Amino acid sequence: MLKVRIHSQSHGNRHHPSIPLEINLSCAAGELHALVGPSGSGKTTALRTIAGLHQPELGLIECAGEIWFEGLSANQALINFSPAQRSCGFLFQQYALFPHLSALHNVAIALENSGLPKSTRIAQSQAWLERMALGQFADRLPAQLSGGQQQRVALARALARNPKVLLLDEPFSAIDNPTRQNLYRILAELRQDLAIPIVLVTHDLREANLLADNITVIDHGIGLQTAAPNELFQKPRNSRVAELVGIPNVFNGVFNAGRLDWPPNNWFFDVLDKGKIPPASPVAWVIPQDGLMVHAQAAPTFLPARVETLSSIGQIAVVRFSVGNSKESLVWEASSAEIKRLGIHLGSAVFLEFDANKIHIMPLRTINDPRRLLPAG
Amino acid sequence: MIDTQAIFLSLQLAFCTLLIILPFGIWLAHHLVSAGKWKPWLEGLLALPLVLPPTVLGYYLLVGFSGKTLFGEPLVFSFLGILIASLIVNLPFAIQPIQRAFEAIPTALKEAAEVCGLSAWQIFYRINLPLAWRGVLSAAVLTFAHTLGEFGVILMIGGAIPGKTKTASIAIYDQVQSFDTQGAGMLSLLLLGISLCAIAISYGFFGSSSQLRAPRIR
Repeated sequence: MLKVRIHSQSHGNRHHPSIPLEINLSCAAGELHALVGPSGSGKTTALRTIAGLHQPELGLIECAGEIWFEGLSANQALINFSPAQRSCGFLFQQYALFPHLSALHNVAIALENSGLPKSTRIAQSQAWLERMALGQFADRLPAQLSGGQQQRVALARALARNPKVLLLDEPFSAIDNPTRQNLYRILAELRQDLAIPIVLVTHDLREANLLADNITVIDHGIGLQTAAPNELFQKPRNSRVAELVGIPNVFNGVFNAGRLDWPPNNWFFDVLDKGKIPPASPVAWVIPQDGLMVHAQAAPTFLPARVETLSSIGQIAVVRFSVGNSKESLVWEASSAEIKRLGIHLGSAVFLEFDANKIHIMPLRTINDPRRLLPAG
Repeated sequence: MIDTQAIFLSLQLAFCTLLIILPFGIWLAHHLVSAGKWKPWLEGLLALPLVLPPTVLGYYLLVGFSGKTLFGEPLVFSFLGILIASLIVNLPFAIQPIQRAFEAIPTALKEAAEVCGLSAWQIFYRINLPLAWRGVLSAAVLTFAHTLGEFGVILMIGGAIPGKTKTASIAIYDQVQSFDTQGAGMLSLLLLGISLCAIAISYGFFGSSSQLRAPRIR
């Protein structure tokens, strides 16, 4: 189990300028946890912090029951293990293979201080290369290997020390599609064989959704939400998360004791919430695809809309409606058969029915108070 | 008649200078890479011998060394004196290529080595030094060739005592002064040959002259 709670105001160094961080996550053994966010959001800095390559000011980093970092006040770390002391496998974005060492010695160097005899170190390194299907390339220098092969050597090196956590920095960003598919397969196998937490940094949400058990969305160094992929898409914590994960149909409204007003359309919904939102709060709300029904006939509870754009891709059609009198638009995905049944075409009038139980309301932005990371008392 | 004594003294001085300055230069260059806010001042101080007239440097060394001894040897008009002077004037030639080579190593490699569990010393001799070897070789060639040709400082601090401080370049000057143009010509040709060989050998290693100073990092 990896537990990370970090807070940092520092700005890194000239090689690695970093932004202030406030991240809280835990990753169980065998779990793949993705850190997702736009470029410059602090994902890589968070990963470097876990590895000990960047020092936060406050917080706790604990892995497999061992505390690697504990800081209670700025620049006064009680415990701060060096990168060498932390048992991390780190796959660098550009692989960072040692250019003067062969593939075999690039892996073996990670076992240099393992206390094993040299012959065992070489045998183990060769076994890792075999596992990555690189057995016959052991004597090659990194420059004599393709990008995908270099990445597998780097992965073998990261795993050779039997790390307690595997950290992957944008591993899919610079490789072509077949290599990517191969890496997906290797990762899936590793997850089964190695019972260690794996933390993956990516800016590609689709990839995170495909691979991760849990996702932490990071923006401007702040961990906005940690959730399983499904939950993240259905219940984003706030409007920024919804925006970052690319959820369509996010609207602004005002929530007041069970009633959600949608002022531009002069419309309202009766929505239940957990009592967390104060009365008369401006909120963002989303309606998932399965909470929206489209009708050709009007009814008092249906909201009139007009078809703005209609694009069909094979059996799928994406329709954009302009709603009521407002300029807001709403995206709806349906099968081509459904479009045909409703007789929808460009400019036609339709009537939208919202399932209020499926509406998810959220604050415009989570209130950020770094003091919550300070120890109690 | 070729002055073999002067040639051997010059070679002796060049090899002794190399033997001392290379380990020191590697150590200093490695620390200069991360010297922080003092870096420009330290680099400036080390580069001073490049811009100071040799006679000025020689004058200060002469005044500073006068009457001083080291290991029982006087520091002026002695081989030890010209060796120390040679070390000082060669500092920029030895340190700059090595420092540039260390600086060209990507930070990610150092970090990867740290994450691999290597100690600072292991990172130095397993990663940094092998990657900077072109810079070290370049420093060795420049120092060697420059020591063979050094004139002003050596003359100021060592005089021209045959077999002790009279190096080949000083011998050439003396021979020209005494109208021995044939001897001066032969000695000059020999120095030219040695310097050309040293540089040609290093170019052979580097592949081309453009890589003399920068290591190639793939």
